[in-house]
Amino acid sequence: MTAFQLILVVALGGLLAGTAVAWIKGWASRPALSAWAGLWIVGLVAACRPEATTRVAGLLGIRRGADLLLYCSSLGMLAGFFMMYVRLRRVRTDLTVLTRQVAILTAHEGGGRDGDRGRGSGGPAPAEAGPPPAKGDPETFLKTS
Amino acid sequence: MTAKGVSLTDVYVVVAAYNEGAVIADVLRELSDVVPNVVVVDDGSTDDTYRTACRLARWTLRHPVNRGQGAALQTGIAFALRQGAAVVVTFDADGQHRPEDVPRLVQSLERERCDVALGSRFLGTTDGLPASRRLALRAAVLFSRAASGLQLSDAHNGLRAFTRRAAERIDLRLDRMAHASELLDQIARSGLPYCEVPVHVRYTEYSTAKGQRLGAAPRILFHYLLGRALG
Repeated sequence: MTAFQLILVVALGGLLAGTAVAWIKGWASRPALSAWAGLWIVGLVAACRPEATTRVAGLLGIRRGADLLLYCSSLGMLAGFFMMYVRLRRVRTDLTVLTRQVAILTAHEGGGRDGDRGRGSGGPAPAEAGPPPAKGDPETFLKTS
Repeated sequence: MTAKGVSLTDVYVVVAAYNEGAVIADVLRELSDVVPNVVVVDDGSTDDTYRTACRLARWTLRHPVNRGQGAALQTGIAFALRQGAAVVVTFDADGQHRPEDVPRLVQSLERERCDVALGSRFLGTTDGLPASRRLALRAAVLFSRAASGLQLSDAHNGLRAFTRRAAERIDLRLDRMAHASELLDQIARSGLPYCEVPVHVRYTEYSTAKGQRLGAAPRILFHYLLGRALG
Protein backbone atom coordinates (compact mmCIF):
# COMPACT_ATOMS: atom_id res chain seq x y z
CA MET A 1 0.00 0.00 0.00
CA THR A 2 1.37 3.37 -1.01
CA ALA A 3 1.43 6.40 1.24
CA PHE A 4 -1.39 8.01 -0.72
CA GLN A 5 -3.52 4.89 -0.38
CA LEU A 6 -2.87 4.99 3.33
CA ILE A 7 -3.98 8.62 3.54
CA LEU A 8 -7.12 7.77 1.56
CA VAL A 9 -7.95 4.83 3.78
CA VAL A 10 -7.48 6.88 6.96
CA ALA A 11 -9.59 9.77 5.59
CA LEU A 12 -12.37 7.53 4.29
CA GLY A 13 -12.28 5.45 7.46
CA GLY A 14 -12.70 8.62 9.47
CA LEU A 15 -15.67 9.65 7.35
CA LEU A 16 -17.20 6.22 7.75
CA ALA A 17 -16.75 6.41 11.51
CA GLY A 18 -18.34 9.88 11.52
CA THR A 19 -21.27 8.50 9.57
CA ALA A 20 -21.64 5.72 12.10
CA VAL A 21 -21.70 8.24 14.93
CA ALA A 22 -24.31 10.28 13.05
CA TRP A 23 -26.36 7.09 12.64
CA ILE A 24 -26.21 6.35 16.38
CA LYS A 25 -26.95 9.93 17.42
CA GLY A 26 -29.72 10.27 14.85
CA TRP A 27 -28.27 13.45 13.32
CA ALA A 28 -29.58 12.67 9.85
CA SER A 29 -32.05 10.37 8.15
CA ARG A 30 -31.12 6.69 7.87
CA PRO A 31 -31.44 6.58 4.04
CA ALA A 32 -29.15 9.59 3.66
CA LEU A 33 -26.57 8.13 6.05
CA SER A 34 -26.78 4.77 4.27
CA ALA A 35 -25.99 6.50 0.96
CA TRP A 36 -23.02 8.31 2.50
CA ALA A 37 -21.76 5.10 4.13
CA GLY A 38 -22.04 3.31 0.79
CA LEU A 39 -20.00 6.02 -0.87
CA TRP A 40 -17.23 5.81 1.75
CA ILE A 41 -17.15 1.99 1.47
CA VAL A 42 -16.85 2.14 -2.31
CA GLY A 43 -14.05 4.68 -1.82
CA LEU A 44 -12.30 2.39 0.64
CA VAL A 45 -12.51 -0.55 -1.76
CA ALA A 46 -11.16 1.59 -4.58
CA ALA A 47 -8.31 2.83 -2.38
CA CYS A 48 -7.35 -0.64 -1.13
CA ARG A 49 -7.93 -2.54 -4.39
CA PRO A 50 -7.34 -0.15 -7.31
CA GLU A 51 -7.39 -3.07 -9.76
CA ALA A 52 -11.06 -3.64 -8.83
CA THR A 53 -11.97 -0.26 -10.30
CA THR A 54 -10.21 -1.20 -13.52
CA ARG A 55 -12.32 -4.36 -13.77
CA VAL A 56 -15.52 -2.37 -13.23
CA ALA A 57 -14.31 0.24 -15.72
CA GLY A 58 -13.74 -2.49 -18.28
CA LEU A 59 -17.32 -3.69 -17.81
CA LEU A 60 -18.52 -0.16 -18.58
CA GLY A 61 -16.30 0.22 -21.64
CA ILE A 62 -13.82 2.55 -19.95
CA ARG A 63 -10.19 1.58 -20.21
CA ARG A 64 -8.80 2.68 -16.84
CA GLY A 65 -10.18 2.54 -13.34
CA ALA A 66 -8.76 6.02 -12.67
CA ASP A 67 -10.86 7.38 -15.52
CA LEU A 68 -13.95 5.74 -14.06
CA LEU A 69 -13.26 7.38 -10.71
CA LEU A 70 -12.71 10.74 -12.39
CA TYR A 71 -15.98 10.52 -14.34
CA CYS A 72 -17.90 9.43 -11.26
CA SER A 73 -16.35 12.22 -9.21
CA SER A 74 -17.25 14.81 -11.84
CA LEU A 75 -20.81 13.57 -12.08
CA GLY A 76 -21.10 13.46 -8.31
CA MET A 77 -19.83 17.03 -7.99
CA LEU A 78 -22.22 18.32 -10.64
CA ALA A 79 -25.12 16.56 -8.94
CA GLY A 80 -23.94 17.98 -5.63
CA PHE A 81 -23.80 21.52 -6.99
CA PHE A 82 -27.28 21.17 -8.40
CA MET A 83 -28.67 19.80 -5.15
CA MET A 84 -27.01 22.61 -3.24
CA TYR A 85 -28.52 25.13 -5.62
CA VAL A 86 -31.99 23.65 -5.21
CA ARG A 87 -31.59 23.67 -1.46
CA LEU A 88 -30.31 27.24 -1.49
CA ARG A 89 -33.28 28.23 -3.60
CA ARG A 90 -35.60 26.67 -1.07
CA VAL A 91 -33.89 28.55 1.75
CA ARG A 92 -34.23 31.79 -0.21
CA THR A 93 -37.92 31.11 -0.72
CA ASP A 94 -38.33 30.50 3.00
CA LEU A 95 -36.45 33.72 3.71
CA THR A 96 -38.81 35.61 1.44
CA VAL A 97 -41.85 34.14 3.16
CA LEU A 98 -40.42 35.10 6.53
CA THR A 99 -39.52 38.57 5.31
CA ARG A 100 -43.04 39.00 3.95
CA GLN A 101 -44.57 38.02 7.27
CA VAL A 102 -42.38 40.48 9.14
CA ALA A 103 -43.25 43.23 6.67
CA ILE A 104 -46.99 42.62 6.98
CA LEU A 105 -46.93 42.33 10.75
CA THR A 106 -45.05 45.59 11.10
CA ALA A 107 -47.02 47.56 8.51
CA HIS A 108 -46.99 51.25 9.19
CA GLU A 109 -50.09 53.31 8.62
CA GLY A 110 -49.13 56.79 7.55
CA GLY A 111 -50.82 59.95 6.51
CA GLY A 112 -51.55 59.09 2.91
CA ARG A 113 -52.37 62.10 0.78
CA ASP A 114 -52.28 64.44 3.78
CA GLY A 115 -49.13 62.94 5.19
CA ASP A 116 -46.89 65.87 4.32
CA ARG A 117 -49.52 68.47 5.00
CA GLY A 118 -49.60 68.29 8.73
CA ARG A 119 -51.75 65.27 9.44
CA GLY A 120 -48.67 63.31 10.30
CA SER A 121 -48.13 59.62 10.67
CA GLY A 122 -48.42 57.08 13.37
CA GLY A 123 -51.68 55.25 13.01
CA PRO A 124 -51.92 51.68 14.21
CA ALA A 125 -50.94 48.77 12.05
CA PRO A 126 -53.75 46.59 10.68
CA ALA A 127 -55.54 44.64 13.36
CA GLU A 128 -55.97 41.53 11.20
CA ALA A 129 -52.25 41.40 10.57
CA GLY A 130 -51.98 39.57 13.88
CA PRO A 131 -49.39 39.89 16.66
CA PRO A 132 -47.89 43.14 17.87
CA PRO A 133 -47.72 45.57 15.01
CA ALA A 134 -45.17 48.37 14.96
CA LYS A 135 -46.74 51.44 16.43
CA GLY A 136 -46.05 53.49 13.40
CA ASP A 137 -42.73 54.99 14.30
CA PRO A 138 -40.42 54.46 11.35
CA GLU A 139 -37.39 55.48 13.33
CA THR A 140 -37.99 52.82 15.96
CA PHE A 141 -38.52 50.18 13.35
CA LEU A 142 -35.38 51.10 11.48
CA LYS A 143 -33.35 50.84 14.65
CA THR A 144 -34.66 47.43 15.53
CA SER A 145 -34.52 45.88 12.06
CA MET B 1 -64.80 56.09 -10.56
CA THR B 2 -65.78 52.47 -10.39
CA ALA B 3 -64.66 49.04 -11.49
CA LYS B 4 -67.26 46.35 -11.10
CA GLY B 5 -69.11 48.55 -8.68
CA VAL B 6 -66.15 49.50 -6.48
CA SER B 7 -64.87 52.99 -5.90
CA LEU B 8 -61.27 54.09 -5.94
CA THR B 9 -61.24 53.80 -2.17
CA ASP B 10 -61.37 50.05 -2.68
CA VAL B 11 -58.39 50.20 -5.00
CA TYR B 12 -54.97 49.52 -3.48
CA VAL B 13 -51.91 50.62 -5.40
CA VAL B 14 -48.80 48.61 -4.58
CA VAL B 15 -45.47 50.36 -5.07
CA ALA B 16 -42.35 48.24 -4.65
CA ALA B 17 -39.44 50.53 -3.85
CA TYR B 18 -35.74 49.97 -3.40
CA ASN B 19 -33.48 52.95 -2.82
CA GLU B 20 -35.86 55.35 -4.54
CA GLY B 21 -35.28 58.18 -2.08
CA ALA B 22 -34.54 60.63 -4.88
CA VAL B 23 -37.98 60.35 -6.47
CA ILE B 24 -40.32 58.50 -4.15
CA ALA B 25 -41.71 61.65 -2.50
CA ASP B 26 -42.91 63.11 -5.81
CA VAL B 27 -44.27 59.75 -6.96
CA LEU B 28 -46.25 59.26 -3.76
CA ARG B 29 -47.58 62.82 -3.68
CA GLU B 30 -48.87 62.51 -7.24
CA LEU B 31 -50.25 59.05 -6.66
CA SER B 32 -51.95 59.83 -3.36
CA ASP B 33 -53.83 62.67 -5.02
CA VAL B 34 -55.48 60.11 -7.30
CA VAL B 35 -55.81 57.01 -5.13
CA PRO B 36 -56.02 57.06 -1.33
CA ASN B 37 -54.77 53.55 -0.63
CA VAL B 38 -51.15 53.50 -1.60
CA VAL B 39 -49.11 50.61 -0.21
CA VAL B 40 -45.36 51.06 -0.42
CA VAL B 41 -43.21 47.99 0.10
CA ASP B 42 -39.72 49.16 0.89
CA ASP B 43 -37.49 46.30 -0.16
CA GLY B 44 -34.74 46.86 2.38
CA SER B 45 -33.61 50.24 1.11
CA THR B 46 -30.49 51.77 2.58
CA ASP B 47 -31.53 55.35 1.84
CA ASP B 48 -34.47 57.33 3.22
CA THR B 49 -37.11 55.64 1.06
CA TYR B 50 -38.80 54.06 4.08
CA ARG B 51 -39.01 57.28 6.09
CA THR B 52 -40.40 59.20 3.14
CA ALA B 53 -42.93 56.48 2.38
CA CYS B 54 -44.06 56.38 6.01
CA ARG B 55 -44.82 60.10 5.75
CA LEU B 56 -46.57 60.06 2.41
CA ALA B 57 -48.11 56.67 1.77
CA ARG B 58 -51.22 55.30 3.40
CA TRP B 59 -49.40 52.09 4.21
CA THR B 60 -45.71 51.33 4.32
CA LEU B 61 -44.25 47.88 4.69
CA ARG B 62 -40.61 47.13 4.99
CA HIS B 63 -38.67 44.05 4.03
CA PRO B 64 -35.91 43.78 6.65
CA VAL B 65 -33.67 42.39 3.92
CA ASN B 66 -33.70 43.01 0.19
CA ARG B 67 -35.65 40.26 -1.55
CA GLY B 68 -36.24 41.68 -5.01
CA GLN B 69 -39.06 43.38 -6.85
CA GLY B 70 -41.10 40.23 -7.38
CA ALA B 71 -41.04 39.45 -3.67
CA ALA B 72 -41.93 43.04 -2.76
CA LEU B 73 -44.88 43.08 -5.14
CA GLN B 74 -46.18 39.80 -3.76
CA THR B 75 -45.89 41.23 -0.25
CA GLY B 76 -47.87 44.29 -1.28
CA ILE B 77 -50.52 42.21 -3.04
CA ALA B 78 -50.90 39.93 -0.02
CA PHE B 79 -51.23 42.95 2.26
CA ALA B 80 -53.75 44.67 0.00
CA LEU B 81 -55.89 41.55 -0.07
CA ARG B 82 -55.79 41.38 3.73
CA GLN B 83 -57.00 44.95 3.82
CA GLY B 84 -59.98 44.00 1.68
CA ALA B 85 -58.87 45.45 -1.64
CA ALA B 86 -61.34 44.99 -4.48
CA VAL B 87 -58.73 45.92 -7.05
CA VAL B 88 -54.94 45.78 -6.74
CA VAL B 89 -52.77 47.93 -8.98
CA THR B 90 -49.00 47.64 -9.28
CA PHE B 91 -47.11 50.87 -9.95
CA ASP B 92 -43.38 51.48 -10.41
CA ALA B 93 -41.59 53.60 -7.84
CA ASP B 94 -39.20 55.32 -10.22
CA GLY B 95 -41.67 57.85 -11.59
CA GLN B 96 -42.17 56.17 -14.96
CA HIS B 97 -45.92 55.90 -14.66
CA ARG B 98 -48.63 58.52 -14.59
CA PRO B 99 -51.07 58.28 -11.69
CA GLU B 100 -53.88 59.34 -14.06
CA ASP B 101 -53.51 55.99 -15.78
CA VAL B 102 -54.55 54.13 -12.64
CA PRO B 103 -58.28 55.00 -12.86
CA ARG B 104 -58.18 54.20 -16.56
CA LEU B 105 -56.81 50.74 -15.82
CA VAL B 106 -59.43 50.20 -13.14
CA GLN B 107 -62.22 51.34 -15.45
CA SER B 108 -60.96 48.96 -18.13
CA LEU B 109 -61.52 46.01 -15.82
CA GLU B 110 -65.22 46.76 -15.88
CA ARG B 111 -65.51 48.01 -19.43
CA GLU B 112 -63.61 45.08 -20.94
CA ARG B 113 -65.08 42.60 -18.45
CA CYS B 114 -61.67 41.30 -17.59
CA ASP B 115 -59.82 40.43 -14.39
CA VAL B 116 -56.42 41.71 -15.39
CA ALA B 117 -55.65 45.00 -17.10
CA LEU B 118 -52.08 45.31 -18.32
CA GLY B 119 -50.63 48.68 -19.17
CA SER B 120 -49.03 48.91 -22.59
CA ARG B 121 -46.60 51.63 -23.49
CA PHE B 122 -46.61 50.48 -27.10
CA LEU B 123 -50.36 51.00 -27.40
CA GLY B 124 -49.93 54.26 -25.55
CA THR B 125 -47.10 56.74 -25.59
CA THR B 126 -43.59 57.09 -24.27
CA ASP B 127 -41.29 59.98 -23.47
CA GLY B 128 -37.58 59.54 -23.97
CA LEU B 129 -37.55 55.80 -24.52
CA PRO B 130 -33.98 54.97 -25.60
CA ALA B 131 -33.74 53.04 -28.87
CA SER B 132 -31.73 50.23 -27.28
CA ARG B 133 -34.36 49.75 -24.61
CA ARG B 134 -37.15 49.84 -27.17
CA LEU B 135 -35.39 47.04 -29.03
CA ALA B 136 -34.90 45.02 -25.85
CA LEU B 137 -38.54 45.49 -24.88
CA ARG B 138 -39.68 44.36 -28.31
CA ALA B 139 -37.55 41.24 -27.97
CA ALA B 140 -39.03 40.64 -24.52
CA VAL B 141 -42.52 40.93 -26.01
CA LEU B 142 -41.73 38.25 -28.58
CA PHE B 143 -40.26 36.01 -25.90
CA SER B 144 -43.25 36.52 -23.59
CA ARG B 145 -45.68 35.73 -26.37
CA ALA B 146 -43.87 32.49 -27.06
CA ALA B 147 -43.46 31.56 -23.40
CA SER B 148 -46.87 32.49 -22.02
CA GLY B 149 -49.03 32.36 -25.11
CA LEU B 150 -50.51 35.76 -24.28
CA GLN B 151 -50.68 38.00 -27.31
CA LEU B 152 -49.45 41.20 -25.71
CA SER B 153 -47.97 44.35 -27.15
CA ASP B 154 -45.90 45.07 -24.03
CA ALA B 155 -44.29 42.52 -21.79
CA HIS B 156 -42.71 44.11 -18.78
CA ASN B 157 -44.79 47.10 -17.92
CA GLY B 158 -45.07 47.56 -14.17
CA LEU B 159 -48.47 49.23 -14.38
CA ARG B 160 -51.15 46.57 -14.03
CA ALA B 161 -54.53 46.16 -12.36
CA PHE B 162 -56.03 43.00 -10.94
CA THR B 163 -59.47 42.30 -9.62
CA ARG B 164 -59.49 40.68 -6.22
CA ARG B 165 -60.21 37.34 -7.87
CA ALA B 166 -57.13 37.67 -10.06
CA ALA B 167 -54.89 38.97 -7.28
CA GLU B 168 -55.81 35.98 -5.15
CA ARG B 169 -54.56 33.68 -7.89
CA ILE B 170 -51.26 35.49 -8.29
CA ASP B 171 -48.43 33.89 -6.38
CA LEU B 172 -45.10 35.32 -7.46
CA ARG B 173 -42.37 32.92 -6.48
CA LEU B 174 -39.56 34.41 -8.51
CA ASP B 175 -38.30 37.08 -6.19
CA ARG B 176 -36.31 39.17 -8.59
CA MET B 177 -36.87 40.58 -12.05
CA ALA B 178 -38.02 37.34 -13.66
CA HIS B 179 -41.34 37.83 -11.87
CA ALA B 180 -42.65 39.86 -14.81
CA SER B 181 -42.59 36.81 -17.08
CA GLU B 182 -43.79 34.55 -14.28
CA LEU B 183 -46.78 36.82 -13.79
CA LEU B 184 -47.76 36.49 -17.44
CA ASP B 185 -47.47 32.71 -17.16
CA GLN B 186 -49.77 32.73 -14.16
CA ILE B 187 -52.30 34.92 -15.94
CA ALA B 188 -52.24 32.55 -18.91
CA ARG B 189 -52.58 29.48 -16.72
CA SER B 190 -55.40 30.94 -14.66
CA GLY B 191 -57.48 31.46 -17.77
CA LEU B 192 -58.67 34.78 -16.37
CA PRO B 193 -59.70 37.31 -19.01
CA TYR B 194 -57.19 40.08 -19.53
CA CYS B 195 -56.94 43.23 -21.57
CA GLU B 196 -54.30 45.77 -22.46
CA VAL B 197 -54.70 49.44 -21.74
CA PRO B 198 -52.69 52.17 -23.44
CA VAL B 199 -50.61 54.00 -20.85
CA HIS B 200 -47.95 56.66 -20.90
CA VAL B 201 -44.44 55.83 -19.75
CA ARG B 202 -41.93 58.60 -19.21
CA TYR B 203 -38.26 57.78 -19.25
CA THR B 204 -36.16 60.15 -17.25
CA GLU B 205 -32.43 60.07 -16.79
CA TYR B 206 -33.12 58.65 -13.35
CA SER B 207 -35.47 55.88 -14.44
CA THR B 208 -33.27 54.91 -17.34
CA ALA B 209 -30.27 54.61 -15.04
CA LYS B 210 -32.35 52.69 -12.49
CA GLY B 211 -33.80 50.28 -15.03
CA GLN B 212 -32.43 46.91 -15.97
CA ARG B 213 -29.31 46.83 -18.09
CA LEU B 214 -29.40 44.82 -21.28
CA GLY B 215 -26.64 42.68 -19.84
CA ALA B 216 -29.01 41.51 -17.11
CA ALA B 217 -31.26 39.79 -19.65
CA PRO B 218 -29.42 36.44 -19.69
CA ARG B 219 -29.48 36.25 -15.88
CA ILE B 220 -33.20 37.07 -15.77
CA LEU B 221 -33.86 34.52 -18.49
CA PHE B 222 -31.88 31.91 -16.56
CA HIS B 223 -33.85 32.54 -13.37
CA TYR B 224 -37.10 32.45 -15.26
CA LEU B 225 -36.36 29.18 -17.06
CA LEU B 226 -35.04 27.57 -13.90
CA GLY B 227 -38.10 28.75 -11.99
CA ARG B 228 -40.31 27.19 -14.63
CA ALA B 229 -38.36 23.95 -14.57
CA LEU B 230 -38.29 23.62 -10.79
CA GLY B 231 -41.81 24.88 -10.28
